[in-house]
Amino acid sequence: MRDLLFDQGVEFPCGGQGRCRGCRIRILNGKAEVNRAQQERLSPEEIANGWRLACQCIVEGDLEIELRQWDAAILVDDTVFAFRPRQGLGVAVDLGTTTLAAQLLDLATGRVLAVSTALNAQARYGADVMSRLHFAVLEGGQHQLETLIRQQIGALIEQLLFSAGKHGAEIADIVVVGNTVMHHFFCGIDAEPLAHYPFEPAEGGLQTFRSSALGWKHAGDPLVRFLPCLGGFVGSDVLAGILATKLTEHDDLVGLIDLGTNGEIVIGNKEGLLCASTAAGPAFEAAKISMGMRASTGAISQVTVNRDGVHCHVIGDGAPSGLCGSGLVDAVAAGLELGVIATSGRFSKGENSWMLAPPVALTQNDIRELQLAKAAIAAGIKLLMQRKGAKELTRLYLAGAFGNYIDRASAQRIGLIDFPPERVEAAGNTALLGAKLALFSLDSEDGSYAGVRRRVEHVALNADPSFQDVFVEELAFPQARPTSIN
Amino acid sequence: MSIFEELQQAIIDGKAPVAKELTERGLKEGIKPHEFFPKAIIPAMDEVGRRMRDCEFFIPEVLIAARAARGATDILRPLLLGEESIKPAGTVVIGTVKGDLHDIGKNIVAMMLESAGFRIVDLGVDVSPEKIVDAVKQQNANFVALSALLTTTMVNMKAIIEALVAAGLRDKVKVLVGGAPLTDAWAHSIGADGYGKDAPGAVELARRLVSAA
Repeated sequence: MRDLLFDQGVEFPCGGQGRCRGCRIRILNGKAEVNRAQQERLSPEEIANGWRLACQCIVEGDLEIELRQWDAAILVDDTVFAFRPRQGLGVAVDLGTTTLAAQLLDLATGRVLAVSTALNAQARYGADVMSRLHFAVLEGGQHQLETLIRQQIGALIEQLLFSAGKHGAEIADIVVVGNTVMHHFFCGIDAEPLAHYPFEPAEGGLQTFRSSALGWKHAGDPLVRFLPCLGGFVGSDVLAGILATKLTEHDDLVGLIDLGTNGEIVIGNKEGLLCASTAAGPAFEAAKISMGMRASTGAISQVTVNRDGVHCHVIGDGAPSGLCGSGLVDAVAAGLELGVIATSGRFSKGENSWMLAPPVALTQNDIRELQLAKAAIAAGIKLLMQRKGAKELTRLYLAGAFGNYIDRASAQRIGLIDFPPERVEAAGNTALLGAKLALFSLDSEDGSYAGVRRRVEHVALNADPSFQDVFVEELAFPQARPTSIN
Repeated sequence: MSIFEELQQAIIDGKAPVAKELTERGLKEGIKPHEFFPKAIIPAMDEVGRRMRDCEFFIPEVLIAARAARGATDILRPLLLGEESIKPAGTVVIGTVKGDLHDIGKNIVAMMLESAGFRIVDLGVDVSPEKIVDAVKQQNANFVALSALLTTTMVNMKAIIEALVAAGLRDKVKVLVGGAPLTDAWAHSIGADGYGKDAPGAVELARRLVSAA
């Protein structure tokens, strides 16, 4: 059933291993056997009501099933930027673990001629980098992942050309950015060293291909560059983010954070930058949240507190059916404000859940999941700031989709990003913007990706003995600030 | 409140200095070192385990409670050696498997097992099969407890069990495994003796295996 449903856009967070509950379906008509993995993950009532894990079901006859169809809104970039004109067309690709975004540019005018996006086709083998590494390294699937992603990006570029009415012969350069795991899968570099401590790539440098070597047929056979990784899991998507936010041009200390299953953090200024990644787990994507869902129709995306109590904003303004990442952060911040949740994370009166908007409730376990995620990010920021001797940051850029939707005051209230909201800026898809900027400075030294890369040092937080202590300290929520209610 | 009840409360509340002071006061009043375990430390940590399971306690509360329990056991352990009738419930060689550096969960399990009366040999993180085999031999252990938090490293548990078989030690020890990505079915498939869903689960499992032996 996994293969059938994946083609319909259903996601398999654990890679179809039967380890999570992400691909739940309900059998309305027909028969599907229950195996041991399903007995472990589903309650007897759920099984009796027809709930199954799609990844564990084998289709043997006609079935009628119920599932949640999630739409993905993929973030692209329409920032105006300065550039040095050159001839031809350029393609910038942001190869994300979950989503792909590509743009076709006229390099003489800097104009974006076409945009295309897609869910990463590798996602059927795991939603996050660790489960995909599991598939690549332990199940021998790396070659399959490589083929899938090269074909998919090739098709995206075809789409770009088609919608702009252009020919492949006009493409001068193609730049791809992505995290270290995506870099290895795309470039065909053995990912085994990334699957265990010390999580360092064997080969994380710039990789260059002729487009024909990737199986793409463009008459000019342009060069395809996968920009270099910064170290550990921190890849060229973050390098591109540094280019996009111009971190290396600041006098004061500033930061860039990409919140995801793997949180990436960069702190520094023109003197130099430190970067690190920290495993936050899937809470920001609401994947292990009891009523968690993607930010799509029916999701509570905002929770605010006013004199009448709690107000929930539902995407599409219809009936609420779940909670997405930004709603989760807001809900916990609201609970802390109202005293429903204590700073330890426990519901103050010992309840097990808090009804937000029927039937959507926040459970005690949901709060715990968020605590784990926020502590990983907060500990990473704290340790990088300590190493840099930074007391404060004058500006903090949030990259990526989640950074775009999260409420900055709520992020501060739960201690995820302990900075005043006015200093925090949602910077959008900085990976895609940075990839575009790189197209205009591929060979120059100053302001190019190569020049920036030399000024970034990677810090392996997992090897820092104080990381786990700081992580435990950061699990609790901050005390209320006297000014935070309005 | 009796001194045992006070000590229980101090451990549950995570007050290490109070726990130490109460232990010392109890010893002065003539309480035998081994009595503290069944009457205060074990029930206190069982209560901590219950609260953890009920989501009442989270990692920080469990860690500070375990630290308070350790404050008491550190005073009592050296004195127990003099009391010949007291034997540990078993010796547990514990570690996070090779390739994995996560030790918070492993530490909680170790501290809970220790409070439950087991002798703990903690090999730390990124532990190779050879290190486990050597420790089992040298410490004459009867339990091996393994932790992994990554799906890519949990497979190394299998290598450890195979190394124990190769060294002829497999029948001597019970192998307990745990960690977020594991399942009961998977634990059985690699030939482990049991899977601990959480720290209290690991303690229960170890106790059950001791009484079955």
